[in-house]
Amino acid sequence: MTDVHILGVGMTRFGKHPESDATDLGSAALREAITDAAIDPRALEAVYVGHVFQGMVTGQRILAQVGLAGLPLANVENACSSGATAIREASLAIRAGENDVVIAIGTEHLTNKFSGALTPDPSDPEAAVGATMPGIYAMRARRYMEEFGMTREQLAAIPVKNKANAARNPLAHFRKEITIKDVLESRPIADPLNLHDCSPVTDGAAAVILMSDTAAQKYANGRAVRLAASTLRSGSVDVEPTSMTYEPLTWETAREAYEKSGIGPDEVDFAEVHDCFSIAEVLRVEGLGLFEQGSYPWAVERGEANIDGRLPINPSGGLLGKGHPLGGTGVAQVVELVRQLRGEAGDRQIEGARVGLAHCRGGKAVGIEGAACTVQILIR
Amino acid sequence: MTAAAIGASFRPNELEVRPDGSGNLLGSLCRSCGAHFFPIREACAGCLSEDLKTVRFATEGTLYTYTIVRQSTPAFEVPYALGYVDLPEGVRIMGQITGVEFSDISIGMPMVLVLEPFGTSEAGDALTGYRFRPADVTSD
Repeated sequence: MTDVHILGVGMTRFGKHPESDATDLGSAALREAITDAAIDPRALEAVYVGHVFQGMVTGQRILAQVGLAGLPLANVENACSSGATAIREASLAIRAGENDVVIAIGTEHLTNKFSGALTPDPSDPEAAVGATMPGIYAMRARRYMEEFGMTREQLAAIPVKNKANAARNPLAHFRKEITIKDVLESRPIADPLNLHDCSPVTDGAAAVILMSDTAAQKYANGRAVRLAASTLRSGSVDVEPTSMTYEPLTWETAREAYEKSGIGPDEVDFAEVHDCFSIAEVLRVEGLGLFEQGSYPWAVERGEANIDGRLPINPSGGLLGKGHPLGGTGVAQVVELVRQLRGEAGDRQIEGARVGLAHCRGGKAVGIEGAACTVQILIR
Repeated sequence: MTAAAIGASFRPNELEVRPDGSGNLLGSLCRSCGAHFFPIREACAGCLSEDLKTVRFATEGTLYTYTIVRQSTPAFEVPYALGYVDLPEGVRIMGQITGVEFSDISIGMPMVLVLEPFGTSEAGDALTGYRFRPADVTSD
């Protein structure tokens, strides 16, 4: 079976794009990825497009805009893991031998659709009693503080770190460094979380081109990065109440990726994880096995997760700093991994990075532990 | 409150409201392995048995965690307290918390289910929903 390689990445600036829509953003990311790969657009054989709220056949609209007609295309919805799921589907098409060159695009225009707190689907019993996504994560934060003694200031150090990274990322939604005091004094959203603990409503798109061994040999000229694993799981139904301070779904998805890639958590050099809220970064990195349970807030205090630390987390700025255009997020994480592994990350470059991991996790439905979770492992 | 004043359940599949104003959350019991589920399921996630029975859950539980929601959808007036309550059957139920100052809420509190007016139907009729209040606080 062929390996899967990523050659060609593109990403729009993340932020507010009042003059464009999800189609414009997706086509911009697609064109940049083609240019970056230095391939003829006609080399593309199949297309997967991840988005959540952009309506029917958004992917087809993108292709029509750039003049690429007739290709097999699937639009993919998996909440905040939609873009990452598109990458996984593209990788499966290549591993199966069906295609040699496939593009995965993630796009979302949110600022014309939402302001304020996202909620689970209105049909959900928890949405019916007032659940909001910040509220659910706030409850997890409260429980984590109770169990492990994390302080409010320790939690605030996570957005401070990620927004400092975003300040070094020209494509990030936020370009301004903040302090712990700024976090504590920002508007309360769901106690103990304030505005700076929450990822913003963002527009943006990203694209990556995946290739088989054969295509990579033809096009790559040494710039390809290997996608060693791309795993996806959906949440299990709770048979009894489970801890909300640990994520079996994240661990199971990661464990499969570690097995498939032959890379253990101790060999990961850096990670982009789904920090939709400050507390989420804690739960993700501990669920991934990158840090011991109950230890991450103290590791952040020691600087271990900084760009120059032992194990940098969210060097792009993460969802908190770079922004969170739902469908775009998972693809943008892989764009960051590729740029770091190629040594093209500019002011936020991690020295000597060889193995990167990306983690997405999205959606909420009553009685299940998470909805959709993905892990990608890239090796230079 | 007279029986006639009790609004219909806001979600009849999840909350039974009886004419006398009492009620229970509804879920499934797996007759094969004994697991309980909320909401009602068609098969057991523990053993995949389809031999499930609809049951009324106990009305007392323990507060697992909580938050004060200060930004929500237009359907809900903020701020409100929201929590997860673990019931003795082994299910965890999200609900708003009522009858207590925000600052007096704490993890581990014993809680009790209360039925309260909860929005209106599309036709404009008052509906009954549920909240939880601390068990040591008396109502009325």
